[in-house]
Amino acid sequence: MIDLRINLGNNLVLSNPVMTASGTFGYGDELAEILDINQFGGIVTKSLSLEPRIGNPSPRIVETASGMINSIGLANIGLEAFLKQKKPFLSELTCKVIVNIAARTEEEFGTVIRELDHEDWIAGYEINVSCPNVKEGGIAFGTDPRVLERLIGVLRKTTKRFLIVKLSPNVTDIAAMAKIVQNNGADAVSLINTVYGAAIDIYTRKPKINTIIGGLSGPAIKPIALANVIKVREAVEIPIIGIGGISCGEDVIEFMLAGASAVQLGTINFTNPCVVSEILEFLTVYMKQQKLTTISDLIGRLIK
Amino acid sequence: MKCLTSGIVVDNHEIAENIYKAVISVPNIANQCFPGQFVNIYFPDSVRIFPRPFSIAGVDNDAILLVYKVVGSQTTVMSHWKPGDNVKILGPLGNSFGYSGQINQPVLLAGGVGAAPLMFLRDRLSQDGIKPLFFLGARTKSQLPFLSDSKSELILSTDDGSIGSNGLITDELAEYLQKKDNPVSVFGCGPDLMMKTLKSMPFSKNVSVYVSLEKTMACGLGLCQGCIVKNSSDSAGKHYSLVCKDGPVFNLKDIKFDD
Repeated sequence: MIDLRINLGNNLVLSNPVMTASGTFGYGDELAEILDINQFGGIVTKSLSLEPRIGNPSPRIVETASGMINSIGLANIGLEAFLKQKKPFLSELTCKVIVNIAARTEEEFGTVIRELDHEDWIAGYEINVSCPNVKEGGIAFGTDPRVLERLIGVLRKTTKRFLIVKLSPNVTDIAAMAKIVQNNGADAVSLINTVYGAAIDIYTRKPKINTIIGGLSGPAIKPIALANVIKVREAVEIPIIGIGGISCGEDVIEFMLAGASAVQLGTINFTNPCVVSEILEFLTVYMKQQKLTTISDLIGRLIK
Repeated sequence: MKCLTSGIVVDNHEIAENIYKAVISVPNIANQCFPGQFVNIYFPDSVRIFPRPFSIAGVDNDAILLVYKVVGSQTTVMSHWKPGDNVKILGPLGNSFGYSGQINQPVLLAGGVGAAPLMFLRDRLSQDGIKPLFFLGARTKSQLPFLSDSKSELILSTDDGSIGSNGLITDELAEYLQKKDNPVSVFGCGPDLMMKTLKSMPFSKNVSVYVSLEKTMACGLGLCQGCIVKNSSDSAGKHYSLVCKDGPVFNLKDIKFDD
């Protein structure tokens, strides 16, 4: 019997290490017709803010070599509509539901978390301090160590629930950021958010993304993500959730060996929306072939 | 209900300069799609990772028809499809022209390969015993997907005058509509410039205009929120609509192109 369960601590156990990455899976309901959502260990919803956000103007996405650049700008329906429209679907799921939260201020983060804490179907929160595409909030929280320290300290006092902090690779020392997250009581770090990226139309001489610089994702950033997971693994003990270009079962194993306890699928949800069943099948085959029964035994087992 | 499935190429050949028609057997999609809807085609390509969206150009029993122009590497791959080839396909996606039950006189308008979704609408109108006017324009004769049509009354124009009138097909439409005072629904699809021209035309109250739009899409499902079009007013509390999910068909008065 192969055991794919992952215990992340603080009462959060996933049925398997595969989750979805925020902003690449909507609120789950969009894919329900073509996919059994409960195959995932957990899903992370699109970044939620207190008030609705319209997001950035066009063009918001562009395909680049083995990846894409986006600048959506955290477009979302806001807390009130989220609870009204999305709760009926999300609260019926058997997989864990993590709500990703983006805010302009510390107070906004706190207000959203206090409201969501009343909802017993929510397993935890992922704090977005790494969106590269908005002027206020987002990456401003995740690149200044003192601002990050203060924010996580406040949020830890606000909720007892599982608290994940999603980190940006667009910093000099991601391991230092992860240490701050750990020292201030968060339960896990997830990484990486998108990498700064740009593309230019050489005929119009215009940027291919509205904000000129956007966030690069997809297989192109997988080696960058993996390197960041290895760096952070050396710096902290709390679980790492690996994100960045994961597209197949082999990638999941690679991230786990590097030190990730779980992973999130992002851009692949766009380009191969039913990939989760292929991945879970591979994990079982790999475990058998490696004569292993418990997948968590692979975490951080990179032989250096 | 949307499904991600495997289709089989039945036929695929060039019908005009760089414009191909593919017949793909895919019963799950063919049996439930409506004119205006589209499908995503997935390619085993690790560099160009997005699926590509294509309007459904018609249904033939268990098969859907695609009419596409070869513009890049993925459509080049498609132009090499042979009968029997497997195609990974997701659909039907998006809304539809929603014509059924309308009492307005339908008028079709297309630029080049934009004819694709309107060919499907024309087929369905034909089944209802309606033979619509079909305004079809292109740069030149060889780039028109077809030059004659038994199921519509075809009005052609080309930028170079090589067939039909010499000029823009939207001018032909405007001239026709001037003489009309009965309720008319125009269904249009074409290049961005044509859509913008339509938006700037002063339609009288008896004319409704519905357009099918094209935008770069990463998912086609409303997940990535990449394919936005601006709403003409924020009254519904929504600044943008998604072409993939709220569209691809929009009432022209509900949207604007100034972003």
